[in-house]
Amino acid sequence: MSNAPGTGEAVLFWILGPLAVLGSLGLIFAKKAVHAALGMALTMIILGIFYIAQDAHFLGVIQVFVYTGAVMMLFLFVLMLVGVDSSDGLLETLKGQRLATAVLVLGLGGLLTAALGSVTYPEPAGVKSINEETGNVSAMAELIFGRYVWVFEVTSALLITAALGAMVLAHRERLGKGRNQRDWSKRRVLRGEYVAGLPAPGVYARHNAVDTPALLPDGTPTPLSVSRVLTARDQVTTPERYVEAEDRIAGQIEEDSSR
Amino acid sequence: MSAAVPAVFEAVKVDYAAIAPMLVVVGGALIGVLVEAVAPRSTRYGAQLVLTLATIAAALVALFVWAVPHKAVTLGQSLAIDGPALFLQATLLVFGLLGVLAMSERFGGKSADAFTPMGASSPGSPQEAAATRAGFATSEVFPLALFSLFGMLIFVAANDLITMFVALEVLSLPLYILTGLARRRRLLSQEASLKYFLLGAFSSAFFLFGAALLYGFSGSSDLKLIARAITTNSSQMNGLLLPGAILVLIGLLFKVGAVPFHSWTPDAYQGAPTPITGFMAAATKAAAFGAILRIAYVGLEVSRWDWRVGVGLIAAATMIVGAVLSVTQTDVKRLLAYSSVAHAGFILVGLLSFDGNGIAGVMFYLVAYGLATLAAFAIVAMIRQGGSEATHLSQWAGLGRKHPVVAGIFGLLLLAFAGIPLTSGFTSKFAVFAPAIHSGGTMGVLLVVIGVLASAVTAYVYFRIIVLMYFTQAPEDDVVALTPSVATTIVVTVGVLATLLLGIVPGLLLQLAQDASTFLL
Repeated sequence: MSNAPGTGEAVLFWILGPLAVLGSLGLIFAKKAVHAALGMALTMIILGIFYIAQDAHFLGVIQVFVYTGAVMMLFLFVLMLVGVDSSDGLLETLKGQRLATAVLVLGLGGLLTAALGSVTYPEPAGVKSINEETGNVSAMAELIFGRYVWVFEVTSALLITAALGAMVLAHRERLGKGRNQRDWSKRRVLRGEYVAGLPAPGVYARHNAVDTPALLPDGTPTPLSVSRVLTARDQVTTPERYVEAEDRIAGQIEEDSSR
Repeated sequence: MSAAVPAVFEAVKVDYAAIAPMLVVVGGALIGVLVEAVAPRSTRYGAQLVLTLATIAAALVALFVWAVPHKAVTLGQSLAIDGPALFLQATLLVFGLLGVLAMSERFGGKSADAFTPMGASSPGSPQEAAATRAGFATSEVFPLALFSLFGMLIFVAANDLITMFVALEVLSLPLYILTGLARRRRLLSQEASLKYFLLGAFSSAFFLFGAALLYGFSGSSDLKLIARAITTNSSQMNGLLLPGAILVLIGLLFKVGAVPFHSWTPDAYQGAPTPITGFMAAATKAAAFGAILRIAYVGLEVSRWDWRVGVGLIAAATMIVGAVLSVTQTDVKRLLAYSSVAHAGFILVGLLSFDGNGIAGVMFYLVAYGLATLAAFAIVAMIRQGGSEATHLSQWAGLGRKHPVVAGIFGLLLLAFAGIPLTSGFTSKFAVFAPAIHSGGTMGVLLVVIGVLASAVTAYVYFRIIVLMYFTQAPEDDVVALTPSVATTIVVTVGVLATLLLGIVPGLLLQLAQDASTFLL
């Protein structure tokens, strides 16, 4: 029984292979983190398809679940934390580093391609016979819980370390008692400022997002109505276009009624 | 492939006696995590310290009582508990014991002195100050150290590439975290942690790529089967073997800090809390060299003529760069980092001799260097100016007049690093250079010549520090050596005694290393 790939598999490979390479190049060269994440997702899904095409169904499904599911979710959580708009600084801190890197990477790539290209590969073993005799999932299970059970168990130490490390590096315990709503309210009244609370962000006819400041009676926007985090991130928009649109509509209504 | 999968599930045979030390260590680490979760804050430091020390001591007992008479390849070829593995596991446990003692140093404070009270607080923030006032402590460092030690114990016994890779990660991940937890100069510490993590991940990728190529070459990740495939495979497949071997070795050489994979070493050593630096320098080096020994002598020995010259060049570069760059350093921790790079080069010289005496020499060197390094960093942690560690060399001027004992001990350790006779440095250098001359061929002799010259250069550096400590007028400042607790005293005493004993009567340990220098297949 020959395990050489059939025509359909070859066509699949030559269509999806270049796409996977493009995706991985996108992961490296994309300037925006979101684009890099999408490039990685593309590559991972295509790898999953390849595994399934090669009869490794379990591996293919796990690949899609774990990488495009779990890992990409983590990636997106991190993006949420650092902000979608963040992009890499492209300043070269060490002079000539980028050029040296390019030369070395191309050299290493060339050497590896030459070495791996010179190999005459034997007939691929394939997993067809195993799929038929033992079953794909059972065979994986027998290896994981048989021959490689020690490695499988040791991996748990890795996960515990990761959880413990995340707690140590990121979990801030509260020191002392925090203020509750009552305390805040008392404090406002005592100080006599914003007794009724801070103004809410602007609500306009076509818009009510939190990044748009409200207008004071004299028509100037008040920065108090926008979260200071947004101000620090420079993500506050001006209400002008909504105000203009409103004025225009109001004007039209007036025109209509006067006609 | 189909032969590897049995038709009916067979549970793998486990020799529990042989792996008892590892089980004890990981058990202790898990209990440590539980203690962290349930024990009240005020009791955690003491509980963790007692638990960790007891765990490592119990693991040592288990090693000598159960594992030593039970040499075996167990868990379906995953682990080879043989002479070198047991010797290095015992070494690592001793390093772990001394490392934990050094980490526990409080210098009269409420919590371990070297570690930040709260890793998550921004450096210099009011929250950090509040956490210090409240007597918080990052007592998680003790279970983390145990997890790292667990990874190291597996690493030196790993008999296939997958086990080796997982062990590499288990030993590295806690170290990345520990590196970022210094109490003082925290930005530097966090930067060091990030650099170590990124470059470590990079080197893991190299290791994995190499392991994949070796799997493609031999159809197995077992070192034994890879060795067999090298002798039986046709030469058409050699395009997979050599890149695979080189990439795997690169991944491992990164961990020992060999040039050109050393660039993380000075930054990580300088930024990490000083006791962690000592633990990293001693234990990581021992574990990584244990793995390199096994890869080189069990897995890839047959093909050694293909990669021997490359690793020889790396050894030469490591000795030269480590020695020359240590001349220009002005920070004690960075200087010791570059010295550790040079020492990695010396050890590589012995490793390349491909001789039983070479294995024994490498293991002897690791013990001698590790004990001296732990003591040296324990002393660096004691020298203070205005509450922070005085690591700049200018701050060490005239220390010998103010604190003759501390400076004298540090001077002795420096003499050992330089390889002066009657210290362990001399005997260990002899133990790695002699096999290289005897059976290393022309390259061995050349490497030894470079090694001796590099030793001369590093000797200049160390003597300069001794001159600085003893023959320079002390400036009128407040550099002091803090009075250490029993824990640090033990570390320093063991280091000094080992340095002297291994220098004067090295025979016992050398004989032990020679008896333990046979790999099981």
